Amino acid sequence: MATESPSSIRKVVVHLRATGDAPILKQSKFKIAGSDKFAKVIDFLRRQLHRETLFVYVNSAFSPNPDELVIDLYNNFGFDGKLVVNYACSMAWG
Amino acid sequence: MSEAHKFVWEGSIPLQIHLHQSEITTLPPPPPALVLAPRIGYLPLLISLIKPHFSTTLPPGIDTIWFEYKGLPLKWYIPTGVLFDLLCMEPERPWNLTVHFRGYPSNLLLPCEGVDSIKWSFINSLKEAAYVINGNCKNVMNMSQPDQAELWHSVLSGNLESYRRVSSKLKLGTFEDEYAENINPVSTKSQQSTEETEVTGQLKTGRIPVRLYVWTVNKDFDDLEDAPQIDNWDKVSYINRPVEIHKDDGKYFSLNDAVRSLLPEFFPGSSFVDEEDASINRSTGEEEENTCDPMSSFQPLENAEIKLVRIQGIEPKLEIPFSWVVNNLMNPEYFLHICVCLKVSEAKALQ
Repeated sequence: MATESPSSIRKVVVHLRATGDAPILKQSKFKIAGSDKFAKVIDFLRRQLHRETLFVYVNSAFSPNPDELVIDLYNNFGFDGKLVVNYACSMAWG
Repeated sequence: MSEAHKFVWEGSIPLQIHLHQSEITTLPPPPPALVLAPRIGYLPLLISLIKPHFSTTLPPGIDTIWFEYKGLPLKWYIPTGVLFDLLCMEPERPWNLTVHFRGYPSNLLLPCEGVDSIKWSFINSLKEAAYVINGNCKNVMNMSQPDQAELWHSVLSGNLESYRRVSSKLKLGTFEDEYAENINPVSTKSQQSTEETEVTGQLKTGRIPVRLYVWTVNKDFDDLEDAPQIDNWDKVSYINRPVEIHKDDGKYFSLNDAVRSLLPEFFPGSSFVDEEDASINRSTGEEEENTCDPMSSFQPLENAEIKLVRIQGIEPKLEIPFSWVVNNLMNPEYFLHICVCLKVSEAKALQ
């Protein structure tokens, strides 16, 4: 059984990767609370890139619903201890 | 073709839709619109049916349609049937909703730019489900444009045959389920019928994509009419976890096993949760914005009680084989949407 304290917030490492002509961030890896929604990742990217329209994907494959929890995405689709998030300024994967 | 699957596709909810009073500019006010909304559909898709009823009374402006139920703005990406099952504990027919064409609450709802947003959300959910099932979603991504259009159109029009034809190309399987013929799913009234169920069902893959909507109550209620109203989305935990089908000494994997394995926070003793899952699923948070989240405000409990499980308007017996539920009650984007009400004791909830 897990011994981790239930009150501790599990942090997830998010690896942000630019796709297409999207600008590359100076820092590409961030920690975020697993209890946050994916919307927080999208908002962070919008603020960093000063763009309203962004396409944000997991594993170069699909755009999760912004209401999904980061921990669920990490558990379902993460590997090597991180969640890979791709971002593009135009639609990359329809 | 499974009869239950057909029922799901043909299922509709009668809606009585009222225009919000702030958008009524004529006297007398327009009568409500009566509409049959497909369970597997999405509310904003009803605009072509609703708009004509109200177009003459609307104030000037640009349409951005949204709905509310008893003051709660409804999330457009949740299938209509799921919204009804979740928010209308004692099913109300017709379901009285309020529609708005102005003043989109973008602080509460994701932006919706009409059909395109809904199609985008649907296709991405489908890709996500494929990823859970197969470990990638190449089959969805490589789908031809005409096939993708046909798939989406089959959902819009409720055409199950067309959906079957085109979705079979995705190789997402229905899961082999030999005992489906042996039980009558909607009325597994007698315990015997589940006991007689043969344990021959094999699932093609072990990972089932599930979207779970959980709310907790701390007072018991006997009558659904007395169930507390969900008046805030913070009260609903939106959980996306796959169910891994486990076999235990020839005993089939039931809906009860599935729900317990999805909620290790509440059922830590569930024998189907392996150690790794138990630790990484512990997503409890302490941040202020999450204090209303029922998953984070409780210590792990062992005495939570499953009060209600509702899927596609049915409250199946928890002993029902989970594979039957998956094969017959999933939505067209290959997610199984499950609404769960948990009862936790008050003493625990106050901790």
